[in-house]
Amino acid sequence: MLDRPSTALETGELIGIKSAVKAFATPEGGRVLALDHVDLSIRNNEFLTLLGPSGCGKTTLLRSIAGFEDFTEGAIQLDGRVLGDVPPHKRPFNTVFQSYALFPHLTVENNVGYGLDVARVQRQERNERVAQALALVGLTGLEKRKPRQLSGGQQQRVALARAIVNRPRLLLLDEPLSALDRQLRQSMQIELKNLQHTLGITFLYVTHDQEEALVMSDRIAVMNKGRIQQIDLPSAVYHRPANRFVAAFIGVSNILTGRVAASGAAGVTIETDGKDSLLAAAGSAGIGERVSILIRPERFEVQSEGSGDNRPWLAARVEQVVFVGSELHVHAALSDGSKVVALDRRSHANPGNWSPGQGVRLFYDPSLVHVMAEGAA
Amino acid sequence: MSVSVRSSRAVAILLAPISLLLAVFFLVPLGIMIVYSFLEPGIYGGVVWSFYPFNYGRVLGAPLNALEEFDAVYLRIFINTLRIALTTVLISLLVCYPVAFWVSRLPDRWKSLVLFLITLPFFANLLIRVYAWLLILRPTGFANTALKSAGLIDQPLPLLFNNVAVAIGLVYILVPFMFLPIYASIERLDANLIQASQDLGASPFQTFRRVVLPLTMPGIVGGSIIVFIPALGNFVVPSLLGGAKVLMSGNLIEQQFLDARNWPFGATLSMLVMAVILVLMMIYVVNLGRSGAEVARQVQTV
Repeated sequence: MLDRPSTALETGELIGIKSAVKAFATPEGGRVLALDHVDLSIRNNEFLTLLGPSGCGKTTLLRSIAGFEDFTEGAIQLDGRVLGDVPPHKRPFNTVFQSYALFPHLTVENNVGYGLDVARVQRQERNERVAQALALVGLTGLEKRKPRQLSGGQQQRVALARAIVNRPRLLLLDEPLSALDRQLRQSMQIELKNLQHTLGITFLYVTHDQEEALVMSDRIAVMNKGRIQQIDLPSAVYHRPANRFVAAFIGVSNILTGRVAASGAAGVTIETDGKDSLLAAAGSAGIGERVSILIRPERFEVQSEGSGDNRPWLAARVEQVVFVGSELHVHAALSDGSKVVALDRRSHANPGNWSPGQGVRLFYDPSLVHVMAEGAA
Repeated sequence: MSVSVRSSRAVAILLAPISLLLAVFFLVPLGIMIVYSFLEPGIYGGVVWSFYPFNYGRVLGAPLNALEEFDAVYLRIFINTLRIALTTVLISLLVCYPVAFWVSRLPDRWKSLVLFLITLPFFANLLIRVYAWLLILRPTGFANTALKSAGLIDQPLPLLFNNVAVAIGLVYILVPFMFLPIYASIERLDANLIQASQDLGASPFQTFRRVVLPLTMPGIVGGSIIVFIPALGNFVVPSLLGGAKVLMSGNLIEQQFLDARNWPFGATLSMLVMAVILVLMMIYVVNLGRSGAEVARQVQTV
């Protein structure tokens, strides 16, 4: 139904934001930067997620693109042209609000048709497009209901249909799934991803839920304190975080700190603060430099003391074993007491394999150890 | 929903005082008025206990009795009263709606101050407040003096003892009753809905017409009703600011009871005013009221 943009546009930049600053005055008379020199390029037809904790500036950025807020400095470009002070109702973007913001006095049909009605689209075309949009989100048959007669999930779909029916150049989604229960949220994630694929509309999605971001996004922009920390593919953000913040925010992380002790062709040797020796295959850090090391829990292989092969390992003592169904979470302490988590997928049928107090070896692959410069915030 | 015997008895006990109060002070006097409107006026006041439908004939035509003459002046007074009351509603609405928006955007502590100021006139006696308007509007009053000293007029404007003066006075005393329900409905309006409307491409005017106006309609309907009814029955304002020139139905009724001592005719006029109000209310409920109530329900549940 909704035409895909031509292939020539698909690789190009849709939205360009250059050095955007948004300053708020604090009651104490100071100034906080909700956006601190943000550069962002949104490509045509991509699913881009702004991910970060509350107060990181992601919603401010979204609202600025929608036109509800102005930057203190910097500008937004659409197709290379500066948007400036174009008001929200003249921007070819539509928003799915966190609270859905459905019009309580209008039926589902008239909610969805609202954008077409104010644009004075002809009656017949309007009705066809509304029907198509409702079919796309699976709400056919509920046209005459009022929003209050719908469940939360259905209201969410109305909000979605109401936005996409206008064929926006960019769809802005402000934590649209946060009010839904876990199961519904997970199925909606897949649905949204499929929908974006079907429609060929660029999605800018704001969330604080890293799992949601990983599931749906083509690219993720991780934000903290008004700055974009990293913008990359989900796998890159997960496996090769740019800094400690990104590493800690996304997924479960074991982060150790230490100093580079030796550097060679096979990689670097790091002496951790707990005096353990750790090998990393990649990493360009110089000798003596302080670094943070990320090892994901699933990269550890738990073995009993005394076992081993030629792979490197860290000695640890089991503190707690948690059975979560598909795997075991082994919480352990290294020699200096720093806590790590390892996933054990092989012995999840026998949680009794490990018991608190037991000494274990955590084997790892040096090529899967990620080294970050300490200074990077 | 089933209510247990015990709780329905509790409900009955709790409702007893208000039921008694309404029965004694509302239904009984109303009954007396209905009965009186069909009785014959006594020659020296009071009533003669015989069925006498001709009071209504005096207003509506066809008196069928030599003693009672049909006089179109009563209908003219009624129509003028309706006109003044509707003007009062309209002006109050136009004044209150933007102000209510402005107040709803104020920071909380300013809000409570402004709301207090709006209810402040209630602390002073109604007569004193209406007399103050007499001082403002009379030929040598503040309004004319100010206009004269500003060089805008040579002769004092006739601001007093006409429909305009009465409408000004009624708007002045009734405006808080319009403001509060409108303010309540605007305060309840979800700002996200306005943004959603803009986001979907609606211009500010379209947003107002399609979202803001329908969602604040309960306040508009409610405010209009509670301004219209007292405006229709008011007799203090027209007697002070209208002088002998403007007679509203309230004054007419007062005259019949107190000066003419024709209680049956006064009762008849009261019944006719009430009939007008009831008819208008029914039109409201059937047309505007239905959508208003619908919206009110939604606003409450959302």
